[in-house]
Amino acid sequence: MPVKISTRNIFKNYGAVEALKGVSVDVHEGEIHAICGDNGAGKSTFIKILAGVEQPDRGEIVVDGKPVHFDSPHASLTAGIATIHQDLAVAPEMTIYQNIFMGAELTRNVLGLRLLDKPAMRRAAVGYMAQLNPSITDMNAKVNELSGGQRQAVAISRALRWNADTVILDEPTAALGVRETEQVLDLVRSLKASGKTVILISHAMQDVAAVADRISILRTGKNQIDLEGGDLTADNLSHYILSGTGDRFH
Amino acid sequence: MKKLIETYGTALAGLALFVFLAIFANNFLSTANLFNVLKQVSFLSILAFGFTFALITSELDLAFANLCSLSAVVIGFLISSDVAWPVAVAAGIATGLFGGLLNGFLVTVLKVPSLISTLGTASIANGLAFMITGGVAFVGRWDQNFLYLGRGKIGSVPVIILFTLAILAVVLVLSTQTRLGVHLQATGENEEAARRSGIDTRKAKMIGLALSGLGAGVTAMFLVANLSSAAPQMAGDFMLNGIAATLLGMTMFTPAKPNILGTFVGALIIVMLSNGLVLLGAQYYIQDIMLGIIIIVSVAVSASVLKRAAFAL
Repeated sequence: MPVKISTRNIFKNYGAVEALKGVSVDVHEGEIHAICGDNGAGKSTFIKILAGVEQPDRGEIVVDGKPVHFDSPHASLTAGIATIHQDLAVAPEMTIYQNIFMGAELTRNVLGLRLLDKPAMRRAAVGYMAQLNPSITDMNAKVNELSGGQRQAVAISRALRWNADTVILDEPTAALGVRETEQVLDLVRSLKASGKTVILISHAMQDVAAVADRISILRTGKNQIDLEGGDLTADNLSHYILSGTGDRFH
Repeated sequence: MKKLIETYGTALAGLALFVFLAIFANNFLSTANLFNVLKQVSFLSILAFGFTFALITSELDLAFANLCSLSAVVIGFLISSDVAWPVAVAAGIATGLFGGLLNGFLVTVLKVPSLISTLGTASIANGLAFMITGGVAFVGRWDQNFLYLGRGKIGSVPVIILFTLAILAVVLVLSTQTRLGVHLQATGENEEAARRSGIDTRKAKMIGLALSGLGAGVTAMFLVANLSSAAPQMAGDFMLNGIAATLLGMTMFTPAKPNILGTFVGALIIVMLSNGLVLLGAQYYIQDIMLGIIIIVSVAVSASVLKRAAFAL
């Protein structure tokens, strides 16, 4: 598979704190690429940079072979990268369909005015949600009336709506129960099946072992180890993260 | 049932108030009095629409009443200086809009919380209004076409009421049926979520505060045309009334959220109440006490957005 997103020597400091010290990762098109690492390894900073939330001090991001500069989240989105942050960034007091279409509302022409097409948004929202959680049918429900897993479904639906070809999921299963975790992993697989590239940040080694095609392990701001998935177990991964060496663990 | 009361309870209370006044307050139902009420509602609601837009984006505008007074004296000054009235009106409206944009700049670029920055611009506007007038009022025999805006009638209906209904329709559609309207709302509900969804939240807040200034300018035009005078502080009373109308509006239709229709009904209730109290012979100070109670109770009932705006310090 060709390389979809490539980062070259990304550096980022917060004052005296060196969060990233030269991260170079190649994410291949159509794969599920997991980014792992202990707390403070630089995962969140790395994702924020790919999402355009933060800007790197040095280094380069290349998408589809072209260098890009993400000066805002919108720039990242228009480059085809949709990020679902751990806090989900939903507006709890707004409805499901308003959250899914936030920033990209559908409109129709009424007497020459471009007005919101609420029925179309509600219909499309049902379609997105059905892929993930068919039990939710009332798109006028407020997000604060939903469970944690259902909110995740809303946030992922929003990424689907952007038509992004790369989806970044930051700790998508962190707050979920077993059944909902399985649902989210199924969604990750279905994103891949539909040809999308997925970048998955996770602490849950079982989840990573279950779905990842490729794994980069960050350690103190660098990608220490790059692995191919497939026959890895959660225990293998924990060992790599803790030891910081690429030696196979038996 | 609970939801119905939450959604329409205040509006029903307003209806009950109307019936009560119709029965017990002499002259309340006379055509002259009803049109007088609606005229007051016109000034108040156009101003409060602006405040509502700012509040939708989770920003407070405490300057709108003083900006309205400043816009009014700009109009009065220019007309008194023999400038053509359409030019004077344009300059007055531009003054309000500029004040709103300045508030937007202070909040979004200099990051001064709106509670503080609009308090500052309110004081500046007040000072400028006194500077322009030298402390007195502009009065005069002004162009009839200009005065028609504030005093004209079609049949027996004052044109200002028709203007207000047209403005209500426009801002209602803008706030509930357009992308801009949802973007303002999303910005107010969760700025970070809106920003990450590609919404320019700084622009949204800028527009919210600019609309508040614009409302002040437009109201100034109607006020000056109605009174054929322009004085500093002439819109001072609208400050608390406008805030109260908006907050009361937050208790209806889309509970806990500032909304245009709620603001309009809120303005109707507040003006009816003031008018009714006068007709019933209540002392003048009762109005202020009622207003204070309305403001506090409305926020206690519907809280969230306002608390977020006020405590964003």
